[in-house]
Amino acid sequence: MTTAPKTQPKLMTGMAAWWDTLVVSTQKELTIMLRYPVEFVASFAQVFIIVIVLTLAGLMFSKNGAVPSKGTSNIAGLVVYGFILFMFLSDTLWGIGYNVRREQKQGTLEQLYLSPASKSLTLLSRIMVTLIWTGSLCILSGVLMSTMIGRLPFHNLPLGLFILVMALSGTFGTGFAFAALTLRVRETGQTIANLAQFAFMVLCAPFFPFSALPDWLRWVSRAIPLSYGVDAFRSTLMGFPNGFPELAPFGLELVIVIAFGVLMPMIGFRLYQLEENRARKKGSLSEY
Amino acid sequence: MLAETRLRLINIARYPGQMATEIIIPIVFASMPMLLGRATAGADAAANFAANTGTTNYVAYLLIGSNVFTLVSNAFWHIAYWLRFEQETGTLEAIYLTPTSTRLLASGVAVYSVTRGLISSSLAYLIGCLVFQVDPFEGNVLLAVAFIFVGLIPLYGVAMLFGALVLKVKESNALIGLMQWVVSFLMGIFFPISVMPLWIKIIALMFPPTWMTNGVRSALLGVGFFFGKWYLDWAVLWAFMMVIPLFSFRVFHRVEQGIQRNEGVGQF
Repeated sequence: MTTAPKTQPKLMTGMAAWWDTLVVSTQKELTIMLRYPVEFVASFAQVFIIVIVLTLAGLMFSKNGAVPSKGTSNIAGLVVYGFILFMFLSDTLWGIGYNVRREQKQGTLEQLYLSPASKSLTLLSRIMVTLIWTGSLCILSGVLMSTMIGRLPFHNLPLGLFILVMALSGTFGTGFAFAALTLRVRETGQTIANLAQFAFMVLCAPFFPFSALPDWLRWVSRAIPLSYGVDAFRSTLMGFPNGFPELAPFGLELVIVIAFGVLMPMIGFRLYQLEENRARKKGSLSEY
Repeated sequence: MLAETRLRLINIARYPGQMATEIIIPIVFASMPMLLGRATAGADAAANFAANTGTTNYVAYLLIGSNVFTLVSNAFWHIAYWLRFEQETGTLEAIYLTPTSTRLLASGVAVYSVTRGLISSSLAYLIGCLVFQVDPFEGNVLLAVAFIFVGLIPLYGVAMLFGALVLKVKESNALIGLMQWVVSFLMGIFFPISVMPLWIKIIALMFPPTWMTNGVRSALLGVGFFFGKWYLDWAVLWAFMMVIPLFSFRVFHRVEQGIQRNEGVGQF
């Protein structure tokens, strides 16, 4: 015998439903993350060791060796601010783009598409996780790096934050586009994510100034909008020292970064929708 | 054993993209500090680097570090991930029921991993030297090769210990990810271990890849052996080679027995 519920669940619509789904999806992602403490702690520790390794490597070229410089260090700014964007791009590629593959492998992607929840929110919830998780990692590793290299320069904070938000928005759009690509190429997505990450490390110069690149390669960098994000973000926070920004006049860089931040999420999401529809029509959503 | 090696080599030959990435990664990785150093230190880059490490040839120094790191992380990934993969796909139970010893199978995986690692890291070193225009054959190449070959055996011993840990905790990706960076730090991937605090230095010296990396760097670039003479450092690696594989096989065997008794083989 079944008993009818005393109260009917409240049917949510509009903004309330959107917000509730986003919160629940984010909660789901965070809960899964916290249920694997080994993975959680390991990935946290891993970032710190990478930071220490790269910082020590850079210090081998300084006169003082592994001794932090007194006062504000532009090298610290150069590396730390680039590192922040690298972390976000890397987590976006894996966390948003390649995560679709995880759902596919687990066999839960088909179910997600059968639920009445908004499809876009499952992608957005991953952004929330990336913002919370990667954001805290960035703050902590920034502190660690600045104790090792020297105090971080902090100029034009509001403008710097605005550029960061725009660059991140564009990066998340890139993540959506990558999720679309992963739906199409499946396992090859892993190799592409690796290559994209390494291409970013060289072409967008997050750990060194663009002047270190050969001239012809700098032209390739100029063709990537995220390069302007890296350049404008660190130049702003470093207080525009001599030679910065390196790729274009600041005004032009700002326009490119804003366009990237506004257009890329739309393009990325549209690409994802197209690929998702294609996969549903072909019946390849749960194939892997 | 060779059949296991062949099986894996055939399998990886089907993924040329993965092989290409394995060659590109160490070059890109070594180029990060190189480009930063060149840009920030300018004309003093080589002199500053020599003052901190003992050689002006920072290109070769960093490439050696990143390529030995490739060998080391290959050892960890291939051994641990092999076990985890069998566990996840449910074939580990079947493997334990066959008359072939797991030690033989593990050795087959290790031979495959060494072959793959040596090919990709040698190519990465040569291409990296070519790209950054330094002589890859500077110094005593034969001695460097001797350090690598002797160092690989205890390295795979340590990887087996790690494999035992993966069997026990039933987790691989995160642990390997963390372990490979801990290892890179301890072996002094891009810096001499003299920059570390004493207690970390002691831990680093108990770890075979540290001796391997410094041996190769000293043979090729003359940065200085830990004990001053090559044969003394080489002898330490030989000592590791005698002790670590036996010890790790023993530990691995005990863990295997433990999970066989406690219904742990088929669970993941």
